[in-house]
Amino acid sequence: MRGQFRETVTALAAEDPRIVVILGDISVYQFRDFQARFPDRCYNMGICEPTLISVAAGLASQGFLPFVHSIAPFVTERSLEQIKLDMAYNGFGGNVVSCGATFDYAWDGSTHHAYGELEALRVIPGMEVLQPGSTAEVDALLRQCAGNGRPTYVRLSDFPHDVDVGRVVAGKGTVLADKAADLTVMTAGPILGNVLDAVRDLPVNLVYFHTLKPLDRALVERFRETRILVVHDARGLREAVTEVPNLRVDFHGLDDRFHAAYGTVHDLRAACGLDPPGIRTAVTARLSAWTSH
Amino acid sequence: MTPEARDIRRAILRVAHASGHGHVPTCFSVVESLLATYDVLRHDPANPHWPDRDLFVLSKGHAALGYYCVLAQRGYFPLDEVFAFGAHGSRFGCHADRFKVPGVEASTGSLGHGIGLAAGMALAARIAGTDRRVVTLIGDGESNEGTVWEAVMVAVDRGLDNLAIIYDHNKSQTRCLMIPNPGERFAAFGCAVAEVDGHDRAALAAALREPATAPKVIVADTRKGWGCRALVDEMFAWHRRSPTAGELAELLEDLDAWAV
Repeated sequence: MRGQFRETVTALAAEDPRIVVILGDISVYQFRDFQARFPDRCYNMGICEPTLISVAAGLASQGFLPFVHSIAPFVTERSLEQIKLDMAYNGFGGNVVSCGATFDYAWDGSTHHAYGELEALRVIPGMEVLQPGSTAEVDALLRQCAGNGRPTYVRLSDFPHDVDVGRVVAGKGTVLADKAADLTVMTAGPILGNVLDAVRDLPVNLVYFHTLKPLDRALVERFRETRILVVHDARGLREAVTEVPNLRVDFHGLDDRFHAAYGTVHDLRAACGLDPPGIRTAVTARLSAWTSH
Repeated sequence: MTPEARDIRRAILRVAHASGHGHVPTCFSVVESLLATYDVLRHDPANPHWPDRDLFVLSKGHAALGYYCVLAQRGYFPLDEVFAFGAHGSRFGCHADRFKVPGVEASTGSLGHGIGLAAGMALAARIAGTDRRVVTLIGDGESNEGTVWEAVMVAVDRGLDNLAIIYDHNKSQTRCLMIPNPGERFAAFGCAVAEVDGHDRAALAAALREPATAPKVIVADTRKGWGCRALVDEMFAWHRRSPTAGELAELLEDLDAWAV
């Protein structure tokens, strides 16, 4: 996804002189050609994430379109107030593009995990929160949202899914399976790959989102009469779905604890029941419960 | 004290009394800094969004009342409107909102944001190839925030010589985290430092006009409440308090008698 981010933003920058990239000493090698091509619009500004956001807001205040890029927990949770006030409250929109989603840096431990930032940013007024799950989604969403002047969070992952979700439109979800079932699984981002593997042959509907804010509430409404199971490897989607009133929503995802283990993303997903077998078990348990009623 | 600066302080006292709001001592400490800034910056009260204007960010946002009084004096809006300071429906909040107040470039309040914002504005001017300048006013208490120092590092690293930081050294932190010799610290970070009497408007303006090859820091040596003896002597008691009618009369007399 980072490669796609570089490709897309390079293409956009060639056409739009307002685009400025600010790196927090991350992905610098990836952006070496961009730096050479646009030397006055690419800055590796240092490991000072709150200031990267403030500087980006200052650039935006004068008409530029900044992209700030660094590791998810640091560029969002550490810089939350700068995103909230300097970007959102001041109306100095820009793009915050992170890497290191959820357990991407599993081996680095809980300091480098990020599973709360989607929700933390979602509650900021005016914020757009995007969780693309594939390179195609990264490209489409960046092209649609980068220049809209609003504060936008784009969460990249090194472990994208390989599902073709069809036409990608910011703010719109996708129905991947409508079996007229009584249970609808809703998910977002790269975990879709595991979810699809888990439920492909089960009698459930499957709905996918790459945009957590604004959420496609109309699509959620379509499945109002079914029970909804949100499966997500982060906070944010369940909370967004449950803002639609009077739904029957259950959640399969992360517990309220630090997932203080090492290994790979796959190890941690398995430990949390977010590998395909774990997700399948969770879904079939809900199906059984529904049947028993 | 110039007559203009005395008028600004009178206005601060009257609005603070009428509204029940205001950080009066800190507003008093920055009056000359604000006046000097608007002596130097290119700006047009009749056209606050003039594209070639210079930019000012009040990073120590709790001095908003002083800022409003200076902007009103410069013609951005009538002072009478500022008497609704902090009231529901007023556009003049206790921290300024750029969408509501003409001349305000950034909405501030939480400390430690102004230098980063101003550095971004200064970088924007550089990328655009203009000679626009950016000034931000920060506090010594505010400089307890780590973001002040990381933003200074970035500004120095980027060579933003079109950025000036006025450091209101009003000794507000004597009761907690005091920053001794701030000039030496900013110089150690690579800034071009000038240390001036923060109540000498002409000296402040001269320091702002002085060319520099690095981000400039003007350490403005000030006193909280400068202009009224009672405010200076009891700066902590008055930190966020508005005067009663009786106190207002005494403070106005005190201000008129201020001989410096």
